[in-house]
Amino acid sequence: MKITLEHLTKKFGSTIAVNDLSITMESGKMIALLGPSGCGKTTILNMLSGILPATSGKIWFDDQDVTSLPPEKRNIGLVFQNYALYPHMTVLENICFPLEIKKVPKKQRIARARELAELVRISEYLDRKPAELSGGQQQRVAIARALAKEPQLLLLDEPLSNLDAKLRVEMREEILRIQRASNITTIFVTHDQEEASSIADDVILLKLGVLQQQGAARTLYDEPVNFFAADFLGAPPINKLRGTVENGAFVFEGSNVSLTLPLRREVSNGTKAILALRAESVVVPADGASLTARVMNRYSINKDELSVLEICGQQFRGFISGDYPLSIGEEICFSLKKRGVFLFVEETGERLA
Amino acid sequence: MKNLKKSCIYLLLTIGAFIMVFPFIWMILSSLKTAAEVNSIPPTFFPSSPTMENYTYALEKAPFLIYFRNSVIVTIACVICTQFTTILAAFAFSRLKFPGRDLMFSLLLSMMMIPFEMLIITNYQTIVGWNLVDNLAALIIPFTSSVFYTYILRNFFLSIPDSLYYSARVDGASNWKYLWRVMVPMAKPALVTIGLLNAITCWNSFLWTVLVTNKTENRTLPFGLYAFMTSSGIRYERLMAAATIVVIPMIILFICFRKEIVTGVSRGGLKG
Amino acid sequence: MIRRKERQSGEKLTVRTILEPTLFLAPFLIGLILFTVYPFINVIIISFKQNYKILTGAFSGFGLENYQAVISDPYFLSGLKNTFLYMLFVVPIATALSLLIATMLNGNVKCKALFQTCYFLPMVTSITAVGLVWKWLYNYDYGLINYLFSLFGIEPINWLNNPKYNLPALIIYGIWNMIPMTTILLLAGFQNVNPQYYTAARVDGARSLRIFFRITLPLLAPTIGLTLIINMITASKVFSELFPLFNGNPGAAYSLYTVVYYLYDMFFVKWKLGRAAASAVILFLIVLVLTMIQLFIQRKWKNY
Repeated sequence: MKITLEHLTKKFGSTIAVNDLSITMESGKMIALLGPSGCGKTTILNMLSGILPATSGKIWFDDQDVTSLPPEKRNIGLVFQNYALYPHMTVLENICFPLEIKKVPKKQRIARARELAELVRISEYLDRKPAELSGGQQQRVAIARALAKEPQLLLLDEPLSNLDAKLRVEMREEILRIQRASNITTIFVTHDQEEASSIADDVILLKLGVLQQQGAARTLYDEPVNFFAADFLGAPPINKLRGTVENGAFVFEGSNVSLTLPLRREVSNGTKAILALRAESVVVPADGASLTARVMNRYSINKDELSVLEICGQQFRGFISGDYPLSIGEEICFSLKKRGVFLFVEETGERLA
Repeated sequence: MKNLKKSCIYLLLTIGAFIMVFPFIWMILSSLKTAAEVNSIPPTFFPSSPTMENYTYALEKAPFLIYFRNSVIVTIACVICTQFTTILAAFAFSRLKFPGRDLMFSLLLSMMMIPFEMLIITNYQTIVGWNLVDNLAALIIPFTSSVFYTYILRNFFLSIPDSLYYSARVDGASNWKYLWRVMVPMAKPALVTIGLLNAITCWNSFLWTVLVTNKTENRTLPFGLYAFMTSSGIRYERLMAAATIVVIPMIILFICFRKEIVTGVSRGGLKG
Repeated sequence: MIRRKERQSGEKLTVRTILEPTLFLAPFLIGLILFTVYPFINVIIISFKQNYKILTGAFSGFGLENYQAVISDPYFLSGLKNTFLYMLFVVPIATALSLLIATMLNGNVKCKALFQTCYFLPMVTSITAVGLVWKWLYNYDYGLINYLFSLFGIEPINWLNNPKYNLPALIIYGIWNMIPMTTILLLAGFQNVNPQYYTAARVDGARSLRIFFRITLPLLAPTIGLTLIINMITASKVFSELFPLFNGNPGAAYSLYTVVYYLYDMFFVKWKLGRAAASAVILFLIVLVLTMIQLFIQRKWKNY
């Protein structure tokens, strides 16, 4: 099912949680609503499910305007962060509950529940109570329950945040597998960029209720439209170096070291700017035009060697192969790749290069 | 030193416990004695030849079986009615949204301090007006709404996460269905507690019963016992047998549900 | 917080959002209005009606006559005095004993369940039935209390028939009755005290008695304050206890009136409704003042 938001706005009193949002989400895709807390992502989810009424704007499911439909008439499945399993019912009863409400005959609903249990791989726990299951298993049950009535849309609110790190990786692959197997349009909310990047076909990045960028995770990473997008995606976080634009080149703060980048538009001299570069864009030994930096520290994260470098009094980090001998305090030359190097206007976050 | 202190505590606790239960022990022991033994000096502790005669006497001379039946009917009816109104009201005050809800609820809370004794005058007139004097319904109808129990249950309902509600709504459950299929089963402990507290209050209710019942066959146990005392004279072995009949069901209830009752009482007392 | 947000989000008021709460609340509110709200207002009105007749509902006018009559009635004044004395003795003694019991029960004792059952049992049993047992214990000739006294060479006391000893008899029974509830409340208060304080004090080398007076008691102060007030409210309504002990009379020589007994007497025995209503309003005012104190204590100690 294709979902379209049209000038969707939600106000709580005087605070605007979602501001004039217009997005289209394609059918059968895995879509992530990504952003820091307070960006309005859960509010959007609640409006999609019908729990919260929209202040203005419209929500379309395919060609149907569902803006004023109550939750039970939208045919959606919803999984909460805390799973919201009914603690007094067994797993089987939990999965059957939506079907029971729909007055599906008992035999049929048990058959359907078993089928779903198979899909989410919890068949052996059907007689247990939720409290007897691990977090990951509860998550599976919650997804099965949400899928029971064959919704057109599955909504997941922070589906992985209650799980420990190891389980999180496992469950996100499971969620992707289940989504692919059921081929249902799925929207999930997350504040974790890695989570969004790893499984979503389409990432919708939000900040303070305003859409920042929509696209494949790779696109957001490689071609951020603004500073916020560049800063929010990627681990370790992108390096930020301060300076000004002088005569079409970036000049590091407090120095006359400059770096020439192809600017997208003319800017007046002295405009404050931020040079953002991904750690993997630092190339040592230098290849072509080079800059000089001092090695401050280095440590290894598994296979990678992360070095802390300093240029013109500002520190940044770069991945430098462990084979290359570096000693702390040493001055080295480095160059930058084309990819992963951006220039933004400091005040507005607008991308210049 | 440490052992001595421990022993002291146990000794004190045991003596105290003995004093607290002693009236009950003495009641049961006396009820098994003969008239001569009850009035002997020095008194005997254990009955020398236990007899059930006093129980048979009480059951024959006064319709304790009818009193008992009345008490059971009134208690059960009271508890069922109160549970019903309490569940619905607690749900409305915790889950439904309507204008003036919180104001209304604080108004209700302030009603908890109205002493029941103050209300008997008008309530008596109401019952007379409805022609319900000497009718068991008079012992039930005035007690079907309790602000206190509603308050306890509402707090419990509030502790159930919103997500369960929204989940059920998305699944298509109505408020009514959600209440009975999800909230009520989950609130079982709170419901048991308020049910027990209510049952105890109903069973022991005295003043109101004295006011609205005249005929013997409509009395409940406490009033029946009191009437038995005034009518059949002071024969302690018999009175003790009758008192035992009144008290035993609540003792059994308490032994079975001590935890639930105790939590209920403490939750009610230290509200806020 | 979230609730407030939802409110502000401007949910529409439809027939459903008004009708549904009404239906859910109806059974509860009907009962409450008929048997609490209406009688409460009505009794206040009656208390100001002069020469009110229960059968016809006729009255000669509004005024303070009932209050004047009640306040100058020696029975009411003695009832007020007795209630006050009862409160004065029962509440502090019962609370102190309960504090002792609760402190011991809160420690690491075995057979906790058994002890709790013993201490809390009087709470669930009928005042009338257990009152009879006490009447038997108080008996002048054959009662166990006088027998125990005789073992120590103390003259037997005519608890129930000598008006001088009626109030003490009522007070002892009252203390016994009040201990269970008070102990439960105090135990609940103990539960709210973080055990880390004890550990910290013990690590600092404090002795048990010192811990009790310097840590437990101050931390428990709000609970104790509340318990005292709750007990005072309970004690101000003393009534049912009189029936089994004194055959339905307020003491052997009608000297043991209490506020509620006066209310009952005026209403159900003498059929002076106006005076009964006036005394009911006075009882309410007493409870109101005590409740205000309770709320004040609760508010003051909220941030403990």
